[in-house]
Amino acid sequence: MSVLTAPSATGLEVPRHPSRITPTVVAVIVGAVVLASAVGLPIPWSDLGSLPGEVAHYLGLMFSAPNWEMVPQALFETWRSFSMAWIGAIGCVIVSIPLGMLAARNVGPIWLRLPLRGLFAVIRAVPEVIIALLLLTVTGLTPFTGALALAIAGIGTQAKWVYETVESVQEGASEAVRAAGGNTAEVTRWALWPAVAPALLSFALYRFEINIRTSAVLGLVGAGGIGSMLANYTNFRQWDTVGMLLIVVVVATMLMDAVSGAIRRRIMKGPRAKAAPAQRNLVQREERIDVARVS
Amino acid sequence: MTSSLSAARSAEVPPKPRSRVRTALVFLAFAAFTVATCIPAIGGIELDVGALIRNWSNGSGLLVQFLQPDFGFLPRTIGPMLETLQMAVVGAALAAVVSVPLTLWAAAPTNPNAPTRVLVRTIINVVRSVPDLVYATVLVAMVGVGALPGLITLFLFDLGIIVKLVSEAIDATDLPIIEAGRAAGGTQTQINRRGVLPQTWPLFANQWLYTLELNVRISAILGIVGAGGIGRLLDERRAFYAYDDVAVIVLEILVVVVLIEIFSNFLRRRLV
Repeated sequence: MSVLTAPSATGLEVPRHPSRITPTVVAVIVGAVVLASAVGLPIPWSDLGSLPGEVAHYLGLMFSAPNWEMVPQALFETWRSFSMAWIGAIGCVIVSIPLGMLAARNVGPIWLRLPLRGLFAVIRAVPEVIIALLLLTVTGLTPFTGALALAIAGIGTQAKWVYETVESVQEGASEAVRAAGGNTAEVTRWALWPAVAPALLSFALYRFEINIRTSAVLGLVGAGGIGSMLANYTNFRQWDTVGMLLIVVVVATMLMDAVSGAIRRRIMKGPRAKAAPAQRNLVQREERIDVARVS
Repeated sequence: MTSSLSAARSAEVPPKPRSRVRTALVFLAFAAFTVATCIPAIGGIELDVGALIRNWSNGSGLLVQFLQPDFGFLPRTIGPMLETLQMAVVGAALAAVVSVPLTLWAAAPTNPNAPTRVLVRTIINVVRSVPDLVYATVLVAMVGVGALPGLITLFLFDLGIIVKLVSEAIDATDLPIIEAGRAAGGTQTQINRRGVLPQTWPLFANQWLYTLELNVRISAILGIVGAGGIGRLLDERRAFYAYDDVAVIVLEILVVVVLIEIFSNFLRRRLV
């Protein structure tokens, strides 16, 4: 009888419940950190109850009757912000394509590559707005210097995209050019450039989209454009105009995103959409960055 | 014979894919847009290099000062930096909690009801299209200077990112467990709770960590418009042209951002 029960007992034994200790400990630690941070913040938590009502009150002031008379001026300032973003994007792309290519493993020598990558990493780590802000204090607060600041602050990320793209190119074409006696410059021109040009063009447009957001932010600190107008009318507490400006910002940004996104998709996937695997990866990665909207 | 051979060969060569007319048109459009951005009369920017050079001679002293950071200032930056980190953590945590139901609402497999799905997605898209500092500016005017407007800004910003990214990831994943749950007679809520959430939580965890990283970067600048944290100190020292102090703050932000990135990459490898 024992012979009969023994195997059935082991065979039907329910596996041990996985240990809950580690998840519990992690949850407690995370909870403690969050709580400690929340308590330490100088926020009058007791006033929080009246907050939704207050916000609703202001939203009513802003959006119940937006001040449409100011729309022409708002559009004028929007175009100024777009101009800042566009010139900034052109400057950023013109500088970052050669620098980024020199920093790619299959183009630049190591003594050039490492310092360049270090420079990009430093520019990337400091928030763009801070770099732009510091430059603006030195160069003066005008839309033109705003564009320059955007161009310089964007180099870190833009150049990184360039060298990652160049490094992801398949070896075949480069080997062919080298076998035909081409030097590094010729390899770059005839093998790498044709392979990366669509992706780089797409990244350039993407830089424009990012700059549109950042240029609004630069306006807030006084570089001109829609951001400056918004900051001014917020300071005047003219809520109906602020509401109209917010609507203009949202609509203009979404519109520009849609147009630029459509062009980018056409560049990357083409009218006869059939991308090579390497290209498809790029599109995916780019879309991942796309949503992040790091400013 | 040679002529027939060359004719055959020329027939083999495929035509050049791009027409010159199209290239010229694209180039013209590009040039026209660029020129239009440089006409001050319609709102474009004035390319005034002369003024730039004049300002540069005034401001270059500041850059020299910037290159000589005054580390005696460091103790005064600790408090604001701590506030920045606290805002980042609390904002990310609040957004993480609220993001779960909203994401399940915004993804097609977990919410078959099209009108509510479109509604949630539209709201999220509108929320995402406002730049972070614009939120902060308006909120500072609404609820006053301090950490609260910064916290709300971070919360809204994170929510937009998490819901957008994770709901699209859920859309793209093949989840046979939904069909299994439906076949077993489960309601959509039960399927989401018992089937979808356990399978998609690495997606969530990944984005939560990512927003924590972003938050540290953003909350460092929120103070510029008065929303608390290290940015307020930075703006104050900048206004006094104390660029040696500004250099310390920027260095500190750089170090903290890099540390948080390393920490979050470590966690991501462990968790996901």
